[in-house]
Amino acid sequence: MEHTDIVIIGAGLLGCFLARALRQYDLSVTVLEKERDVCTGISKANTGIIYPGYDMAPGTLKARLTVSSCRNFPELCRALGVRYANRGSLMVGFGPEAEASIRNKWEKGQRNGVEGLELLSGEECRRREPLLAKGVRIGLFSPDTCVVNPWELGIAAYENARSNGAIFRLSSKVMAIHRIRNRRAGATAEMFPTEQYRAEATAEFYGTEQYRAETPAEHSGTEWPLKFIVETAETSFSCRCVINCAGLAAGDVHEMAAPPSVRIRPTGADYILLEDFPGMTPKMPPDVSTRIHSRMPLRHVIFHEPEQKRKGLTLVPTVDGNLMIGPTEREPFENPTATEAEGIRWLREKCREVVPDLPTEPILRTFGAVRPNPYEVLCENDRWIPSGRKLFDFNIKEEEGFFSLIGIKTPGLTCAAALGEYLTGHIVDFLGGASENPAYDPTRCPEIRVSEMTWEEREQWVQNHPDYGRILCSCRDISEGEVRDAIRRGAVTLDGVKRRTGIFMGRCQGSRCLSDVLLVMAEELGCSPDEIRKDTAGGIL
Amino acid sequence: MKEKYYDILVIGGGAAGMAAALAASEAGAKVLLAEHASLPGGVLNRCIHHGFGLGYFGEDLTGQQYAARFRDRLAHSPVDVMTDTSVLRLFPDRTAFLSRSGSLQKIAFRQCILATGSYERTMESIPVPGTRPAGIFTAGCAQGLINESHMDIGERILILGSGNVGQIMARQLVQAGKTIVAMIEQNDRPGGLPRNHRECLEAYSIPLMLHSTITRILGEERICGAVVRNLDTGQEQTFSCDTLITALGLIPDRSLADSLAVGGTWPDWLQLCGNCESIHDIVDSVTLAGERAGKAAIKGEI
Repeated sequence: MEHTDIVIIGAGLLGCFLARALRQYDLSVTVLEKERDVCTGISKANTGIIYPGYDMAPGTLKARLTVSSCRNFPELCRALGVRYANRGSLMVGFGPEAEASIRNKWEKGQRNGVEGLELLSGEECRRREPLLAKGVRIGLFSPDTCVVNPWELGIAAYENARSNGAIFRLSSKVMAIHRIRNRRAGATAEMFPTEQYRAEATAEFYGTEQYRAETPAEHSGTEWPLKFIVETAETSFSCRCVINCAGLAAGDVHEMAAPPSVRIRPTGADYILLEDFPGMTPKMPPDVSTRIHSRMPLRHVIFHEPEQKRKGLTLVPTVDGNLMIGPTEREPFENPTATEAEGIRWLREKCREVVPDLPTEPILRTFGAVRPNPYEVLCENDRWIPSGRKLFDFNIKEEEGFFSLIGIKTPGLTCAAALGEYLTGHIVDFLGGASENPAYDPTRCPEIRVSEMTWEEREQWVQNHPDYGRILCSCRDISEGEVRDAIRRGAVTLDGVKRRTGIFMGRCQGSRCLSDVLLVMAEELGCSPDEIRKDTAGGIL
Repeated sequence: MKEKYYDILVIGGGAAGMAAALAASEAGAKVLLAEHASLPGGVLNRCIHHGFGLGYFGEDLTGQQYAARFRDRLAHSPVDVMTDTSVLRLFPDRTAFLSRSGSLQKIAFRQCILATGSYERTMESIPVPGTRPAGIFTAGCAQGLINESHMDIGERILILGSGNVGQIMARQLVQAGKTIVAMIEQNDRPGGLPRNHRECLEAYSIPLMLHSTITRILGEERICGAVVRNLDTGQEQTFSCDTLITALGLIPDRSLADSLAVGGTWPDWLQLCGNCESIHDIVDSVTLAGERAGKAAIKGEI
C-alpha cells in the first residue's frame, strides 16, 4: 500500500493539468494511467481549436472558463513552451437561419464578455477569405481563436506537473476504488488492517440505497475522516481524495465509488488532414507562434454555421501548416476511432459547398475521433438507464472527496488548464486548506525543434549537440537529437515519439524513416527494435 | 560562414545521383554528392533480389551488388561524397544548406542535380476507412525492415496494390515461409513489369484479386483483417491477416525543387533526374538518366 494525498485517475489533458495545478500546494499527487503514455485517448484527436467563448450559454461554468481560458492561452503556452498559432476565426452563414444563429452567438459573446467580436457582411468575409463561396451572407469574426496540437499541450502539462513533483504511474489501470469511513473518530488509518477497511468499504458501497441514506452532513470530513483505497493490478494507494479524469471510461470509474449519475455515449467523428501546401512550412520561420503561411489557402479557422441545425463544417489551418477538415458527427461503428467512408464523402461535399475552390487533395491522412457525450442516468426498477437528457455544461460530480469529470467534451481542450485550477480550489476546500508549495514553477523549457530555429541558432546548436545535425525525417526536417530527447522525456512507443516530435506526420507517414527511428529508439530504450510498439500493444507500425 | 564551392552539387546518392556525380566528375567538374543515409545506394540497398544490371552491365545482379559497383566507382573517383548528410534547402543564389551530425554547412555551386528519388503513396492518402492499427507498412518500408534491419513483420499478409515492389515482396515473403492471403488490385491487370508478374506472382501462385479494393481496415491494436470489395459485383468479403502491405505506387520527391519554384518552373541551374523526375521501372534506365544529367550539367545545358 502506498500513501498519497490525492489520486488522479487518467493522464489525459485534464488529469495532467489537474496534477500540475494541485502541485501549487504542498499535496502529494499520484496520477494513474492505464496506457503506457499520456494523452492517448480523447486528448489526442480533436480540432485543436481554442474557442473564444461566444458559443456557450451565458452564466454557465463552461462559458466562464472558456472566455478566460482563451484570453490566457498565449500566456499559458509561453509558460509551458508550447507552439500555438493565433489564427482568429470566422463563423460564416449562407442562409437566414444561419444568420439568425450567428447574430445570436454575437449577442451571447457580448454577454459572456468575449472581446473583439465583429459581425461582418458577406462581402467583407470574402475579402478576408477569398475562397469562401459567393453565397456567404454573414460572418462572425473573433480575433482570439487559436490553434494548438492538443497532444503537445497535454504532454507539456504532464512534464511540468512531473517536474513539480507529481508522480505519474503509467500502465496502471484502476481495478477498484474503496471508500473507507473511519467510524472511530480520531483514529488514524494505520490503526486498521487493510482487509478490514476493504470489508467495510465493500459492505458500505455496493448497496447504493444504504449509500444514499448516509448524507454527507452526518459524516462530514473532520469528524468522520474519509479515506480511499484505489487498487491497480500491481499495487494499491491510500489517499484522501480521488479525482476521476478517466475520459471515455469516466462513467465506469465513477461507478466504482459512487452511484451512477452520468454516463458517456460516445459518438465518432471523421477528419481529413490535407498534405502540407508547398512552401507553407518554411524550413526556418522567424516566429512560429504568429506565422501565417503565405501560401496557406485559408488564414482563419472557418466555422460553417448550417441551416436547420444540421452539422456544420470546420476548417482548421493547423500549427504545422496543414489544413484540417472536419469533424463529422455519427454513431460509432464497432470502434469509434475508425473512419467511415460516408463521413469522408460528406466532408468533401461540404467543402465544395463552403469553399468550392479549395483543393481537397492530396490527403495526408484521415482519422477518427471520439466525442464523450454525457447523458444523465436515472434509476428505474433497479436498473440504471440513460434519461435521454444530454448534458451541456461541464459535469463535475463531487461525492465526499471523490470528484468525477464525466464527459468533458468541447471546449475541454480550451478549458483544460482552467478546469485544473477550478477543481484544485474545490479539492483544497474539501481538504480544509493546504499550504502552498514554495518550489512550484509553472514554466517548462520547450523542446528543441531544429526546423523552427534560425540558421545561426541552428548552426550553434548543432555544433554543441551533434545529434541534432542528423536529419531522420526529411518530410518535416526532424533530427535524431529530437527523437532521442523525446524518448528521454518519456516516449516509449512510436506514437509517443510521433506526438512529441512530429515525426511520421509528413507525407511519407513514416515509410521512409521508420527503420532509422526504430534503431534510435532501441538504442535509447535498451531493447531490440522488434520489441518497440506502435502505441499500445500489438506490434510495430 | 565560409562557403565551400563546387561546380556541381548532386543531391541524393541512389542510382541516379551516383551516376550523375560520376558522369560530371569524369567530364572534369568538381562534384559534391550529398546522401541522406550512411551508405550510398538508395533503395538498391534493400533489394536482395536479382534482375538488376541486365541492360547496363549485361549481367544479372542483385540491387545490393548493383549499388556496390557504383560505390566502388565513386571511391575511385574525385567526387566528394558526404553521407549522413541532408540538404535542408536550396536558395535562388545557388547555395544550399547541408546538415550532418555536428555541423551545418553552406555550399555554393554552379549547377545542381536533384536525384532525391520518390516516396511511396500511402494508404492514408487514398484514404481507406476503418481503424489505424499497427501492422500496416508500405512495400518499400517492409522491404527495408526485413532486408536492412532484419526484422520480422508478420505471418499472414494481405497486399493492397500490385506495384513492382509489392510483387517482389510477395515473392520474398512466400520464400520466407509467410502466407500471402491475397493481393488486391483495382485494375483489370496487375501493375508493374510483366517480368515480375511472371516471376513473382505466377511462379509463386500468389492469389491475385483484380477489380477489387479494400473498403475497411479491421483491428484495434494490431490489424486483424480487412474487408475486400469486388468492384464489379459489389460483393464484400472479409480476410483475416496480421499485416497489410501497401504497394500503391511511387510519387516523385521534389520537395527541394518545389520550395524554389516560381510560377511552376524551376531555375535553369537545377536539373531533376531519376525517379524524382519521373518514375522508372528498371534501375538501368535510372542510371542512364543520371549520366545524361551529369553530362548536361557540365555543359551548362538542361
